[in-house]
Amino acid sequence: MTDSGTSHIESPHFDEMTGLLYLEQQLDDVRSKGIQSHANTCESCRELLRVLKNEGVWLREAMLGDEEPIPARLIGAPAKGTAPWGWMAALGFGAAGAYTLWSGFVEPWMSQASDVGFTQGNLMTMLFFSGAFWSGWGDVLNLIEFMAVATLGAVALWALRRYFRRQTTVAAVTGLLGLFLMTPFTAHAAETERGSPSYTLPAGQEIKTDLFVTADRTQIDGDVDGDLVAFSHEVEVNGHVKGDILAFTAELRMNGTVDGNVRVFSQSAVVNGAVAKNLMGFVGTLDLAEKGSVGGSATIFSSNGVFNGPVKGDVMAFAHEIDLNNLVGGNVKVRGEVFRIASTAQLSGRTVFEGPKEPDVQSGAKLATPMEVTMRRPTPEYSTARYYLHQLFWWGAAFVFGMVLLLVAPGVFLDATSQAKNVGPAMGIGLLFFAGAVFGGFIACITVVGLSVGIVLWLILAVAIYTSQIYVGEWIGEKLLGAAVGTGAILVRLALGLAIIHVIAAIPIVRVPASLVVVMWGLGAHVMAVQKRMRQQTPLPA
Amino acid sequence: MNSTELSELLSRVRAGDMDAWGELYRTHAPAIFRFCRRALPAREDAEDATNEVFMKVRAKLGTYDSSRPFTAWLYKVASNHCWDMLRRRRIRQDLETGDLETLPLEHPDPDQLEKLQIEHTSKEVRNGLAKLPDRARMALVLRYFGDMSYDEIAETLGVRRAFVGVLLLRARHQLRAILQGGAESAHEATAGGRL
Repeated sequence: MTDSGTSHIESPHFDEMTGLLYLEQQLDDVRSKGIQSHANTCESCRELLRVLKNEGVWLREAMLGDEEPIPARLIGAPAKGTAPWGWMAALGFGAAGAYTLWSGFVEPWMSQASDVGFTQGNLMTMLFFSGAFWSGWGDVLNLIEFMAVATLGAVALWALRRYFRRQTTVAAVTGLLGLFLMTPFTAHAAETERGSPSYTLPAGQEIKTDLFVTADRTQIDGDVDGDLVAFSHEVEVNGHVKGDILAFTAELRMNGTVDGNVRVFSQSAVVNGAVAKNLMGFVGTLDLAEKGSVGGSATIFSSNGVFNGPVKGDVMAFAHEIDLNNLVGGNVKVRGEVFRIASTAQLSGRTVFEGPKEPDVQSGAKLATPMEVTMRRPTPEYSTARYYLHQLFWWGAAFVFGMVLLLVAPGVFLDATSQAKNVGPAMGIGLLFFAGAVFGGFIACITVVGLSVGIVLWLILAVAIYTSQIYVGEWIGEKLLGAAVGTGAILVRLALGLAIIHVIAAIPIVRVPASLVVVMWGLGAHVMAVQKRMRQQTPLPA
Repeated sequence: MNSTELSELLSRVRAGDMDAWGELYRTHAPAIFRFCRRALPAREDAEDATNEVFMKVRAKLGTYDSSRPFTAWLYKVASNHCWDMLRRRRIRQDLETGDLETLPLEHPDPDQLEKLQIEHTSKEVRNGLAKLPDRARMALVLRYFGDMSYDEIAETLGVRRAFVGVLLLRARHQLRAILQGGAESAHEATAGGRL
C-alpha cells in the first residue's frame, strides 16, 4: 500500500480485514479508536473504509431487492401431520400388503421348493447364499458382511461427528466396530483360469481346489477336486467334478460325472452324464439325455424341458413345455403350458400340474397316484372378491412404501416427483437407465469378481422399478388435486395417483404398456433427481 | 403487526388455531422464502426449504423464547435448516486454517472496487451470490440479509467466532472475482487475493 504523503509512524496502515472488522464493530474500543484516529489522517485508509462500507450497503440492497413473489405451492400454510386414523389405516394396508406378498408369492414358492428338496427357511438364502448354487458363497457373504459393517461404521462415525467430544459415544461406536471387525472371515482358495480363447483341462490332470474359468470355450476332460465355476460361450464337461458345477454359458454339455450339484444359466443344457445331487437350471432348453441321471432333485425354469433320463428325487418345473419320459423317484410339480408324460415314464410320487390345458398322458405311463390338475385361467378372476381385495392390498402396500419414502427421504421424494414433471426426458432417461442397468448387471455377472455386484445391481433395479410408481402416482395426484403443500396433501395426492395407476394396470389390454410407461417414467425421474443432487454436491474448488 | 398482536397470534397458534397458523404463515413466509432463495441456489430447493422451515417452526414453537424478537428466531430456524441442507449435500473442501493464511493483507484498489459496485446491478450480484461456495454465500446472507451477529453466524455455520470476519471478507473477495471474471477468478481470489 502506498502512503498518501503524510507520515504516520505511530499509526500504521491497517489491512482490509481490520477495516472490515472496524466497520462491523467487531474491534475493542482501544483498537477502534486507533483505526478511527489513523483514518482521520490517512486518505488511503479512509478511502478503503468508505468503499468497504459502500460494499456492505451494496450487498444488502442486492439481497433485499427483487421482491420475488412467493410461489403458488407455498401460498397455503403447511398442515400438521396426518390424523392418527390415517396412519393406522396406512399401516393396516401395509401389513395386509406384506401378508399378501408373503402368502401369495413367497410362501407358495418356498413350499414348492421344499417339496423338491430345498428345505432352507429363507428363499433368498436358499437361492444365493447357502450353497444351493455354490458353497463358496459363504466366504463371499462374509466379505460382504465385513464391508457392510465397515461402511455402516463409517456412516455412524460421520453421523455422530458432532458428538465426538462425548467419550462414551466414541467408546461405544469404536467398541461395536471392533466387535464386528473381530469376527473372523476366511478367504476362499481357488484356481482361476482365463482361456485364450479356450480353456481345456486335459484328461488325466486334476485340479485340487475350486476352478474358476472364463473362456470362449471351456472343456473339462480331467478332474476337479472342488467346484467348477465357468463363464463361457460353451462349456463341456467330460471329466469328473467332485464339487458343484455353476455355469453361465450359452451351451452346456455335461457328459462326465458330478458328485455335487449342477446349477446352470444357459441357452441350452444337455446332461448326458451323472449328477449325484441336484440339478437346477435357468435355461432355454434342457435335455436330460437317456444316459444322463440326477441323483437328487431337478428344478428348472425353462422354455422346453425333456427328461429322457431318470431323476431319483423330485422334479419341479416352470416351463412352456415339459416332457417326462423316464423315472422320477419323488414328486412332480409342473407349472406350464404343455405337459406330456410318455408311456415309458414312471412317476413314483405325487404329480401336480397347473396350466391352461389338460396334460397329455400316454397309455402305459405309470403314475403312483392320480394326477392333480389345476386349470389356470388365462385372465385374472375379476368376478371374485378376493381379486379386488388383493388389488386393494397391493395399492396399500405401494402407498405405505411411498409414505415411508416421503418421511425417510423427503428430499429424494420431492426431487424425483419434481423431475417427473419432465415427462418426455424422464421416460427417455428411464429407458436408457433400465437398459444400461440390465446390461451392466449382466456384464458384472460374467466376471467372477463382479457376480455379487451384478446381483446387487439387479436387486437395486428391482427396488427402483417398484419405486417408480410412487413418483408417477404423485404426479397424477398433483395434476388432479393441485399442488397444495404439506405432508398430508402429498399423501392424499399419492393415494389417489397410485389408485389410478393400479386401476389402469388391472385392465388386461393396457396393463403391459401402462406398466412399462410408469416404470420408465418413474425410473427416469429418479435418475434425474439423483443426477441433480450429485451435480449440486460437486464442490467448487476452494 | 406489533408485539402484543404477535404474542397473541403465537398463543393462538400454540393452542392449535389453524386460522392463526395461516395468518402467521402468510405474514412471514414471503420473507423466509426470499431468505431461502438467497441461501440456496436452486429455486426448487428454496421452495422445499420454506415449507420445511415452517413445519419446523410449528413443531418447535414451544421452545421459542418470547423475550427475543420472533423474526430473529424465525431466521435462525431458517438459516439452520438451509445450512443443514447444504451441509448434507456438499463435501466442503475449504479448511478454516488454510483460509487465514491465504487472505491478502494489502488494501484493495478502492477505485476498482467502486467501479465494480457501479457497474453491476443487484441482479448480477444475486447471480454472483448463487455461484459462491456454500459457506461463503451463507455467511453473506446471514450477515447482510438476516442481519445476524457474528456470534449467531458462528453458531449457525459451526465455526469459531474469530473466523467469521475472515469468512465474510473471503466471501466478498470471491464475489468480486466472480463479478469481474467468472468462477475461475473466484478461486484465484481465494487462493491469492485480488482487489
